[in-house]
Amino acid sequence: MQETLSRFWQKRLPKALLLSLLMAVTIAPTVQAATGISLDRGQTFAIVLLGMTTLALSIYLFVVIFQPERF
Amino acid sequence: MNSQLTNLQSKPPRSPDRKGRQVSTKGLYQRAVKQAFLKLDPRVQLRNPVMFLVWIGTIVTALVTINPNLFGNATDKNPMVFNGLITLILLFTLLFANFAEAVAEGRGKAQADSLRATKSDSIARKLSPDGSIQDVSSTELRKGDLIKVIAGDVIPADGEVTQGLASVDESAITGESAPVLKQPGTDIASSVTGGTRILSDELVIRVTADPGKGFIDRMIALVEGAERSKTPNEIALTVLLAVLTQVFLIVIATMLPIAQYAKAPVSIAVLIALLVALIPTTIGGLLSAIGIAGMDRVAQFNVIATSGRAVEACGDISTLILDKTGTITLGNRLAEEFIPVNGHSLKELAQVALNASIFDETPEGKSIVILAEKLGASLTVDRSTATGIEFSARTRMSGTDLPNNIEVRKGAVDAVKGFVRSRSGQIPDELDAKYESVSRLGGTPLAVCQDNDIYGVIYLKDIIKPGIKERFGQLRRMGIRTVMLTGDNRITASVIAAEAGVDDFVAEATPEDKIEVIRAEQAKGKLVAMTGDGTNDAPALAQANVGVAMNSGTQAAKEAANMVDLDSDPTKLIDIVTIGKQLLITRGALTTFSIANDIAKYFAIIPAIFAGAGIGQLNVMGLASMQSAVLSALIYNALIIPALIPLALKGVKFRPLTANQLLSRNILVYGLGGIIAPFIAIKIIDIAVTAVGLA
Amino acid sequence: MLQGWIQIALILVTVIILTPLLGKYIARVFLHETTFLDPIFGPIDRAIMRTIGIHEAEGMSGWQYVQAVLISNIVMGIAVFSILFLQPILPFNPNQVGGLTWDLVLHTTISFLTNTDQQHYSGETTLSYGSQVFALGFLMFTSAATGLAVGIAFIRGLTGRSLGNFYQDLTQSITRILLPISFVGTLLLIASGIPETWAGTAQVTTLEGATQAIARGPVAHFEMIKQLGENGGGFFGINSAHPFENSNGLTNFIETVAMVAIPSSLIYTYGIFMGNLRQAWLVYGIVLAFFIPLVVMTAWGEFQGNGQVNTLLGSMAPNLEGKEIRFGWSLSSLWAIATTATMCGAVNAMHDSLMPIGGFSTLLNMFLQIVWGGQGTGTAYLFIFLILAVFLTGLMVGRTPEFLGRKIEKAEVVLASVILLIHPIAILIPTAITLLLPENLTGISNPGFHGLSQVVYEYTSAAANNGSGFQGLGNGTIWWNLTTSVAMLLGRYVPIVALILLADGMQRKQPVPMTDGTLRTDTGLFTGVTGVVILILGVLTFLPVLALGPIAEAFQLSSGL
Repeated sequence: MQETLSRFWQKRLPKALLLSLLMAVTIAPTVQAATGISLDRGQTFAIVLLGMTTLALSIYLFVVIFQPERF
Repeated sequence: MNSQLTNLQSKPPRSPDRKGRQVSTKGLYQRAVKQAFLKLDPRVQLRNPVMFLVWIGTIVTALVTINPNLFGNATDKNPMVFNGLITLILLFTLLFANFAEAVAEGRGKAQADSLRATKSDSIARKLSPDGSIQDVSSTELRKGDLIKVIAGDVIPADGEVTQGLASVDESAITGESAPVLKQPGTDIASSVTGGTRILSDELVIRVTADPGKGFIDRMIALVEGAERSKTPNEIALTVLLAVLTQVFLIVIATMLPIAQYAKAPVSIAVLIALLVALIPTTIGGLLSAIGIAGMDRVAQFNVIATSGRAVEACGDISTLILDKTGTITLGNRLAEEFIPVNGHSLKELAQVALNASIFDETPEGKSIVILAEKLGASLTVDRSTATGIEFSARTRMSGTDLPNNIEVRKGAVDAVKGFVRSRSGQIPDELDAKYESVSRLGGTPLAVCQDNDIYGVIYLKDIIKPGIKERFGQLRRMGIRTVMLTGDNRITASVIAAEAGVDDFVAEATPEDKIEVIRAEQAKGKLVAMTGDGTNDAPALAQANVGVAMNSGTQAAKEAANMVDLDSDPTKLIDIVTIGKQLLITRGALTTFSIANDIAKYFAIIPAIFAGAGIGQLNVMGLASMQSAVLSALIYNALIIPALIPLALKGVKFRPLTANQLLSRNILVYGLGGIIAPFIAIKIIDIAVTAVGLA
Repeated sequence: MLQGWIQIALILVTVIILTPLLGKYIARVFLHETTFLDPIFGPIDRAIMRTIGIHEAEGMSGWQYVQAVLISNIVMGIAVFSILFLQPILPFNPNQVGGLTWDLVLHTTISFLTNTDQQHYSGETTLSYGSQVFALGFLMFTSAATGLAVGIAFIRGLTGRSLGNFYQDLTQSITRILLPISFVGTLLLIASGIPETWAGTAQVTTLEGATQAIARGPVAHFEMIKQLGENGGGFFGINSAHPFENSNGLTNFIETVAMVAIPSSLIYTYGIFMGNLRQAWLVYGIVLAFFIPLVVMTAWGEFQGNGQVNTLLGSMAPNLEGKEIRFGWSLSSLWAIATTATMCGAVNAMHDSLMPIGGFSTLLNMFLQIVWGGQGTGTAYLFIFLILAVFLTGLMVGRTPEFLGRKIEKAEVVLASVILLIHPIAILIPTAITLLLPENLTGISNPGFHGLSQVVYEYTSAAANNGSGFQGLGNGTIWWNLTTSVAMLLGRYVPIVALILLADGMQRKQPVPMTDGTLRTDTGLFTGVTGVVILILGVLTFLPVLALGPIAEAFQLSSGL
């Protein structure tokens, strides 16, 4: 368990971060178009990134709920 | 009677604050402060779901402090200052939680250090199979090696004495300064612990543990918390805390568009502040500290628990199985009176009793000798020409074979009757009457015979420990049943049981009976705790839910148990149960308090941030402004953690009450208190925040 | 005014008197003791069981029970979907109503399958008699029976019994409880003037000479199981406000009592299963402690009327907008609370027109799901809250928590938490997404705080399997049909699976004997604690939306803006 966590930290985390940034860039314009919020591009990007962070946290919490022994 | 048990010296119960070992707390807090910062490492925070959210929240609020327009144009007044304050408070929330854990861990570490001081690499004298001695480093010793230690040495490893007789100073682990006699053969006295010092003579020891796996090594690992894993109840509680965190994460995340729609927009920093206020940070921050402190409290009692699980199980114990001798009665039964039968005179009986006790080294045996001598008997045989017959749980007799083929025996009346019958002797009619009369006094009758002739009965007087009856009364109130195990006959056992106030007893018990009693109780769904020391106690210790081995006991017993009492005081079992309960109560009280706090935090923050939607009238606390309301709730949320650290470490005061009384009392303090206290505290902080001009 | 309160009290007293009687009967049925209906239905039961291939009703394990629930529901769902979809070519369609869009069929099927009965259509103009009776009417029995079976399996597990056999429980729920009571109730309704006919819409020439079409149909039996089974899907679009569904005070009395009867009695049944009626009545007390204040608050709000209207009128008048005069403020308020409390979802007045306090109360009922709660599941949720209360506060007696003599450990907390979590997920997330997408906002008839309530209400009603609506919302679109379908499925099956697995786990545990050290749950103190836990876990989650919805609206009204 220890090892998987630390491996995640060293190898998978940078990849995951990069991927999420790229995804934020791609979906930001869609979100801007779909919602009626009047924000500039940078702000939309930041909001999308925040939304994705929230989603990631939610997934993390589900992992804790169903496999609490790992933490 | 069981001579193994009589070896246990009774000691007065320790008070919890007395420390067996000197533990230095110097520098504890400075180290904890440093640790609090080091624990900000996300890899550490990830293990605590509640605090990990706070950690992420702190980063996001730090970002909006740098650029308040990051997620949309800021509408708050002085957004940079306000967001900066929120960031700072969140950071302190994290640090306070880390500090709590670090202090709890620090105490364990201090204890481990003092243990470690006893451990140093030393040169051991290893005995080769050919008998020659070679000097090796203690780290090279392996299980099965034979070593020789002489006066002044530190014993390099755990082991069993195979030769010699010596006194050993075990104060390093027990805190008891009186030296202990070690010799081969006897179950208890033959085991030695690495790190203790041999004071006199010399011993040959067979090593029983590889380096790094000895008793002290395990103890260090345990008190340091290196092997600490979450207990089942902690895991379940972690799940619930994660669920509450998840619920509030959803509530807050969805509030952004909902508030936007209702034309009462809320800034990201305020939403994060609300999220942190609502998730159970108080218990989330203190949970591990409570667990570590619980282990530590057990350690302060000079008991080493092999796991937090064992401490937790203590709270659930519903049956205590206690040996009579040493636990309920003072260890030493003393000969009070000789009662002759069969027409023998008192003096004759005294002489036979004396002969039967020549080799009996137990306090009982010695007291018989003293009483016999007082009655005019004297040693007539030469010790070297006679053979001692040792007591065993099977024969329940001991005695002496005299040189002229005369066998004298003393022991349980049944056993002696059997002995006499097997030598076709007559059982005098009056024996049973005498036996009963002694039993009715709560004493232990021992029959004495020479060959096939029964001479009489020795009345061994049992003394019930002062105050023990009250303690059993307390246990009964807590719903814990006590079962007394004794080798005595039924009548004696019932008299002592009634006098001591135990709920049940098993008379004429052999060590094997223990495991039967435990299994029977467990079959009824009960959790059982017991103490034991001998090798034949090991299966029962393993079977019991909480098995406390005496440090004076054998290695096998210590391996099988999940706790080891360094003072070898069986009465402590009762205290250990109390500590287990106290641990659970503390955890429950802080959980309740933490969750009850949410009501006040909601009423502080929601009306304030939605004042734009016209619900300002719900601001029942009359907080000055939206910003001061948010800051006050957050400051309260952060400060409550250090405020509760002493409670988390010391534990909620435990009273021996029934479950319902405990619930009413604790609900009143921590439930109702948890609802009301934050209303008052947040209002006061709000006044202060406004006065200082923060918002 | 006094008359109104007496009407409310009369119905409540009837429900309370019925509780032990019906509760005992339900317990007899599920403890497999003999009942007076055995001679009639025993052979029928056996025939049904043989038909579905079960010769000996064997007890099921947790997963077997879950499988049985899911498989049977999927099969029923597919059958009903087909009937509805093929409606134009199927018989029993005297009024020649046409086909439905696929999303409406899907929504309607899921809605009735999950005991929700949310209706995005008007029955009299959209569905044939055949669809109403054979598709929806069928599901009204089976969905209620499914809930009841799960509720019973749950208490069996908690009390250490085998969970039982789902197919047997489903059958007996219908043949011993739902069918007999519906039969008697239907006769009473017909006697009070509710139609039961296969004839098509009546064409009538009015006194003025105009032609009027009067919708009718096999209403009476449909109405009875709609109420008794907490279904709530009306034969007509305006549900029990329609005079042919609910003609007068007597029918309203019967229908209100029928709505609350089973969930309230089931608490008593649980008491018999536990061998602890005291516990049952205390739990009953928790429910009443929520129910009565909500009724009083709502009724008081309606009686006071709308302050702004009253100012124009110059006198105080009850709020009768959206209400039937024959029911008035009191019976409409009681019904509104009872229908949202029991997850029935039938309405006899328009909830959209309730005063904000009424909107608050109805929403709160559905958020909690335990003020009586749904058929079978509501009582089980109540006990989930008891378990959570034990877990949170039970440690304070110095033992690891236990309930009904069984330890509450990680597995139980995870499963209970799932039930706690599903509601915010199924309500708040779709609400937020809906509000983010501008094209959805056009369906909201009263933008602002009330509009927020409309959206939240729609998803809450779906997730809680209630089915009533804040009728102002234009919810017939694909977006609403599909998103509420997901909410209904999540709100129904996830908790059911969790309940059964939790019961299965509890049943396997070794019971711990009661001692003085055991936390007693059948005390007033603990009952109070449970109430507070329900408030904190159930209400605080939704306080922000309540604050921005009905609460903000109430302040807006009172401030006169």
